[in-house]
Amino acid sequence: MESGLLSLLSISIDFETSHLFFPRIIHWIMAGLLALILVTKVAPFMVAVKRGERTIPIVGEARDNFRFFGTLVLIVAYFYFMAVVGDIFPYTGYGFLMVSMAFVLLMSLLYLHDWTKKAITIVVVNAIVAPSLAWFVLAKLFTITLP
Amino acid sequence: MIVSNKLMTSVGSAALMAALSISSGVAMAQDGPLRGNIRVVIGSTSTGGDTYQNSSIVVDQLAEKLGLNMKVDAVGASSAFRTLDRDSRGNTLMIFHDQSYLGYLYGVEGYDNIFEKYTVGPTIAINPGNAYLVPKDSPYETLDDIIAAVGSGETVRVAIQPGGVSEIGFSALKNAIAIEHPGQEDNLVAVNTGSQSDKNQQLFDGQADVINGSVQANEQYTRLPEDDQKAMRFVWLTARQDTIEQAPEEGLGQTTREQLLEYVEPNVNVTMGNDENFTFDKEFFFLYNKDMDPAIVEQIDEALAEIYEEGEIQEIQKSAFFIPDFKPSDEASTYLADKMVRYEEIINNIK
Amino acid sequence: MDFLFLLDITFFLLAGLGALIGIIFGAIPGMTATMAVAVCLPLTYALGLHHGLALLLGLYVGGISGGMVPAVLLNIPGTPSSITTTFDGYPMAQKGEGEKALKICVVASVVGGLISAAVLFLFAPLLADFSIKFSYVEKFLIILLALSVIASLSSSMLIGIFSGVIGIWLSLIGDYSISDGGNGKTRLMFDFMEPYLFEGFSLLPVLIGIFGISTILLEAEKGAKSGLVNERIKISRGGGFSLSVFNGRLTNLVRSSFIGTFVGMLPGVGGSAASVLAYTQEKNLTRDSSQMGKGAPQGLIASESANNALTGGALIPLLSLGIPGDSTTAVLIGAFTLQGIQVGPLFIPENTETWYVMMTALVFANIVMFFLMFYAIKYIAKVVMVPKHILFPIIVMMCVVGAYAINYGIMFDVWTLLIFGILGYLVQKIGLEVAPLIIGFILGSQAEIYFVKSLESFGTYSIFFTRSPIAVVLWGLIVASVMFAIVMGFKSRARQKMELTQVTGSTPTASGKGHDTN
Repeated sequence: MESGLLSLLSISIDFETSHLFFPRIIHWIMAGLLALILVTKVAPFMVAVKRGERTIPIVGEARDNFRFFGTLVLIVAYFYFMAVVGDIFPYTGYGFLMVSMAFVLLMSLLYLHDWTKKAITIVVVNAIVAPSLAWFVLAKLFTITLP
Repeated sequence: MIVSNKLMTSVGSAALMAALSISSGVAMAQDGPLRGNIRVVIGSTSTGGDTYQNSSIVVDQLAEKLGLNMKVDAVGASSAFRTLDRDSRGNTLMIFHDQSYLGYLYGVEGYDNIFEKYTVGPTIAINPGNAYLVPKDSPYETLDDIIAAVGSGETVRVAIQPGGVSEIGFSALKNAIAIEHPGQEDNLVAVNTGSQSDKNQQLFDGQADVINGSVQANEQYTRLPEDDQKAMRFVWLTARQDTIEQAPEEGLGQTTREQLLEYVEPNVNVTMGNDENFTFDKEFFFLYNKDMDPAIVEQIDEALAEIYEEGEIQEIQKSAFFIPDFKPSDEASTYLADKMVRYEEIINNIK
Repeated sequence: MDFLFLLDITFFLLAGLGALIGIIFGAIPGMTATMAVAVCLPLTYALGLHHGLALLLGLYVGGISGGMVPAVLLNIPGTPSSITTTFDGYPMAQKGEGEKALKICVVASVVGGLISAAVLFLFAPLLADFSIKFSYVEKFLIILLALSVIASLSSSMLIGIFSGVIGIWLSLIGDYSISDGGNGKTRLMFDFMEPYLFEGFSLLPVLIGIFGISTILLEAEKGAKSGLVNERIKISRGGGFSLSVFNGRLTNLVRSSFIGTFVGMLPGVGGSAASVLAYTQEKNLTRDSSQMGKGAPQGLIASESANNALTGGALIPLLSLGIPGDSTTAVLIGAFTLQGIQVGPLFIPENTETWYVMMTALVFANIVMFFLMFYAIKYIAKVVMVPKHILFPIIVMMCVVGAYAINYGIMFDVWTLLIFGILGYLVQKIGLEVAPLIIGFILGSQAEIYFVKSLESFGTYSIFFTRSPIAVVLWGLIVASVMFAIVMGFKSRARQKMELTQVTGSTPTASGKGHDTN
């Protein structure tokens, strides 16, 4: 009896495949939990959607599409051009500096609701000063590598 | 304190001068093929480890000599290789050690044959500290005891980090046992684990009989009283005898060079067959992008030759327990390729 | 008392300066204490050992403390160990109590820091001997205990645990790291991802992506209207902080400090587990913990005292075993070796002067940190009054700097920000919970190593129960923690039924519950 239990618990892990051992356990747990959630949460929810009591998340929601997708596009462009411009001036941080200025300016304008002269002045000054300051302190003073 | 004041001042002032030259470097004339800001990526992610230390000693001197901005970044092996792959302009250089080809020999993912994929640059230094230790109250007095025990069928477990520098000594030992006691080599078992603290822990837990370690990290453990659970004893340093002979006479901590020499060949023998003994020096060297301008290779070779000629860098390296070891690119490349072939044989033998 | 001659004005100035720079680094999302120490390490060659240590220890203490600022004000953990600070800090900031929250954090931090310094000073060698009793088995159980907070933290236990498991799954992507003793093979990805994901997603970009970028996306969706936050802040000008917040919280404060010290002491278990564990214990052991996660000061006390207590804790194995307790102390080793000093079990007896000097620097840095932060908070807290169209672009920019710099310049870490920003957004939209997910992510890879390595060396599952008395005690704590979560779950469900008519407002940290509750 005792030895039966022990042999049930004993396990030998092959080092060559040990990288798959834990993920496999996690996959089983995930699958089990997902099934439980589908039954107890998602099914009732979908029924409610059908009856029109609930809306499907994301698809059925109101959203400021201009600002939301504008943000996404800006961030993607920011990350992409930072590397591209940075590659022209290797390891100087100029890529970060220049592209950040453009990014901060555009994103500020995107989020700015009242386009007054004063607000725009602040935005422009901020777009020049903030990246310059970050660049100077980090890349120059502390010699941290920036794109 | 072991390091003399004079040495400290020289280390300090060298660093200060290097720092000053970095800040004023841009203004200097850049007449060589190497220009702009240079980033030296290393194969380790630790800024407290030997690769980083060694690289920053050399890179600081090099930056001063060349009048360029140079910066060491500890990005780790996989990222370092990838960054180097992408830049053939010479703005990215790499410094790494024997792991770069041992990883390939052991078939670790992410490692390629450096001699085919990159240009191997000059060697700069050796870390002579690679060591094997046993608990202080271990029945094995010497490495010969271990070889004999394994040969007579006893299981001996060795805690190592798989796939590289930490494993090569283990492989050599296994190979030696296969030569001296054929068929018994499988009694030497690797306990695959991670950092130095993990390896030590395996010893404290009684999960390993021998561990891979280093003179730097384990020296103090060897001076603990025997009744301390943490006490250890060196049985083997893999470095060559003449490598250790170049170490400062006072050695490291309170273990003198003379004491360290007891643990290297010819006092400790790990045969490779054909009357040849296995030794392993962990050497640091530059790696370049294959398509980089050969003029840059030459420029760095020359600058380093001058730096080593001046002699100051050797003092700094020795004070940090590194053995200066400058070989220009061509020499280094053939030397390291030979080294790789030797170890490839061992690894193939015990497969 | 010979060491007193080594302390001069420069020494204290450097420790103070270190604390200041550290706080600034810590306060920038993505910049950590580790980076602050690494960046300033070259300076110490010129400074000499004792002055260098003063600077580095100041940076360490400051860096760990600074993380509270963005955690409370922006819901972005400045360092991984301030993750639990966001749970209660940000809700408080939204209620206009940002200044009060920060002051609680500062007081908790200094207490945690000083308690751990005292423990370090008095018991370092003793505790080092205790810490080596923790093998893979016990370390796995500690991680499991920390993970058990997921059950009590989530508003729906099933969803919470599922989110936590997703977090663990995400942490497993990449190679089974050789440096932790794995076989270096990659899993859970396609071949084409390997160049980028070989080492998996790194922690800090994931954290600031999932908290920072997704918060910005959620705001953008609502049109990023200014106003809301500013007005509320103005209401509570006075800050509303008094030491009476700590009445009845002394046990919490001391317990969390000890937990922090203890976790810091275990090599490899590392920083973020400390505050999570302290938070778990506070949630489990006190009766009035139902408000935790919605803006309760006790959560801040637990989290911040534990994460500052890490500093002393992590120095214990460094100075008495030569083994760093966390990533920052790993960099400190470099400072010693470059000065020709080895750290190891004989460090303290052989370098008594340096040891006293370090203790002085550590205590002094904590005190400087306290005064700097306590009186600067009034101004720092005004960050939330900056209009969003100025603040958000700067947050994104600083997140980029932090993500890029954390691994010394890797562009994929910046893309990780966006990936996890979007993921965080989706996760909250479909009703999963962010906090359990991130805790799963932080602890997942360690759980794997310790679990698999335990089985590898002992070859049986029973080892988790039979390895040592420590293991048995840990199991007791885990069971208690889970039982508590279940009981609390039933209680809150009963209460919810009673308040069925009322629609509960969703809190931002657990904003995932939008669809399932009420």
